[in-house]
Amino acid sequence: MSFEELDHTADVRIRISAESYEELFTLAADALFGILYSGECRPILEKKIQILAENQEDLLWEFLSELLYRSEAEFFVVCSTRVEFNEGGLMATVCGEPFDPDRHGGGREIKGVSYSDLFIRKTDTMIYSEIIFDI
Amino acid sequence: MLNGITSAGIHEWEVPVGYVPDMRVSGRLFLSEALGRTLEEGAARQLANVATLPGIIGHSFGMPDIHWGYGFPIGGVAAFSESEGIISPGGVGFDINCGVRLIATPLTLADLEDRRSIISKLYKKVPTGVGSKGSLRFSGSKLDELLSGGSTFVINEGLGLPEDALLCEENGCMTEANPDLVSEKARKRGIPQCGTLGSGNHFLELQVVSGIQDSKTAEVFGITEGTICCMIHCGSRGLGHQVCTDHIRSMEKASKRYGIRLPDRQLACSPLTSPEGQEYFGAMAAAANYAWANRQIITHELRLLFESAFGIDYNEMPLVYDVAHNIAKWEMHTVSGEMQRVCVHRKGATRAFAPGRTELPEKYRESGQPVIIPGSMGTASYLLAGTETAMQKTFGSTCHGAGRVSSRKAARNALSGNEVAADLKTKGIIVMAPSGDAIAEEAPSMYKPSDEVVRVVDEAGLSRIIATFLPLGVIKG
Repeated sequence: MSFEELDHTADVRIRISAESYEELFTLAADALFGILYSGECRPILEKKIQILAENQEDLLWEFLSELLYRSEAEFFVVCSTRVEFNEGGLMATVCGEPFDPDRHGGGREIKGVSYSDLFIRKTDTMIYSEIIFDI
Repeated sequence: MLNGITSAGIHEWEVPVGYVPDMRVSGRLFLSEALGRTLEEGAARQLANVATLPGIIGHSFGMPDIHWGYGFPIGGVAAFSESEGIISPGGVGFDINCGVRLIATPLTLADLEDRRSIISKLYKKVPTGVGSKGSLRFSGSKLDELLSGGSTFVINEGLGLPEDALLCEENGCMTEANPDLVSEKARKRGIPQCGTLGSGNHFLELQVVSGIQDSKTAEVFGITEGTICCMIHCGSRGLGHQVCTDHIRSMEKASKRYGIRLPDRQLACSPLTSPEGQEYFGAMAAAANYAWANRQIITHELRLLFESAFGIDYNEMPLVYDVAHNIAKWEMHTVSGEMQRVCVHRKGATRAFAPGRTELPEKYRESGQPVIIPGSMGTASYLLAGTETAMQKTFGSTCHGAGRVSSRKAARNALSGNEVAADLKTKGIIVMAPSGDAIAEEAPSMYKPSDEVVRVVDEAGLSRIIATFLPLGVIKG
């Protein structure tokens, strides 16, 4: 039910603890946008994004890579993300607003989502994941 | 030094076969005893992982600025055979052709009395940080021309001097570039960002030449003691980042198809002779050309600003050289006594070609290639020259910078941006960035000492120190 930043010399490594896959993916998106942007975000626009992948780890990588692309290419700041899993992937509903440098600037660019040391691990009670973002 | 790594000469260390399973060759590190104490297990393991890749020749190399990255370590170099070898986006990184260039000026410290004013003007002129947009737009066929032509294209658009392109590695243009292989997504990320600096460790820094160690070569490089220079460090922006993302996905499938066992998914790769390998090469080369164009546009903005601010002429600010840090390239090297065409991956490393290499511009053919090593905001930067020893030992490669030693999280916990900026100010260095965190994360104390890194490459013979530069002011993203 949280994410934390772990030590990584060059980049930003995030550890997520969640009670469900939906929550895990939502927290991963929160971590991504928490690095990218600062300040308050108003949920005035909604977008739906379909992601397909062969397994959960690939799905997480595709999901974060697509969010990063959308945010950067469309200058779109995301405040909240909702995830529903469906056949072969997920449907994400993201709410946010156009990027405003005065209100959202000052974050750190993410170049990409690394495959290195990416994992999702399920225990009886929790699901854990670690992700490295290239800064 | 970490257990299992043994001395192999002055500042040289062997990471033996068996350090991780399936190594085909040993690893070779260039570190002093002091730098050896900063070597992380994760970086050594990544260096060893590279040695498992098919077709690797000689060793998997780690430069003195080596640190833990993803896929290859930062500071990693490896060459692969044309027939048996692979190409890996993880050996180049997301920021394809992230690199650095040095621009000389006739100005001296006396011209920079109001240092804050000129840094402030630069900060307004050069877009930095998340969400920044360049003032020029190259899209459609113009973007194709930029991706094919690199530096030359933007110079022909009126954004530079004709000789600028010749003073870049590859003449500022990889001819293997194929814009058709650059996805729409990569184009959409790249179009607004042309001429922007980015964030993280990217910077534009004004420096003064504080010392000349080899006056004859410094003269050839056009460097005079006491004059002001500008160093620009940035890469291929979102376009290159997306090219890496696009191709790592297809490379992972290719790795399975070609039966390549990977110790790390980010080392996904494909044979150089395969369609997937050639497609990545063509797209990577196009992104590399974007990076040269990007640095050229920022150079143009700098020259225009200095023309109006100081009354000097555009032509009085020559490009000394431009080097690539993150790239895979075909190069000719001596292997087992014969010249062979090999694919050299450098990830956080710099080419350091020796005197006589025909790839060098005519004017540097006797001196060897200029090698530009940035410090870390508060520490010295260096200009070096490539050597024959580098050709023999590291496929003509050397370090690329100071190299991080602490995480960004540790930096933010230990320091505030205001403290770092105030400390730099006491040393006469002005820093401007969009946030305090951007400054804290890049604080000089978060990096290895640049003088120690440069001393090691000089003493190991991988490059020779020519001149030293001290920072005066820096803009960050």
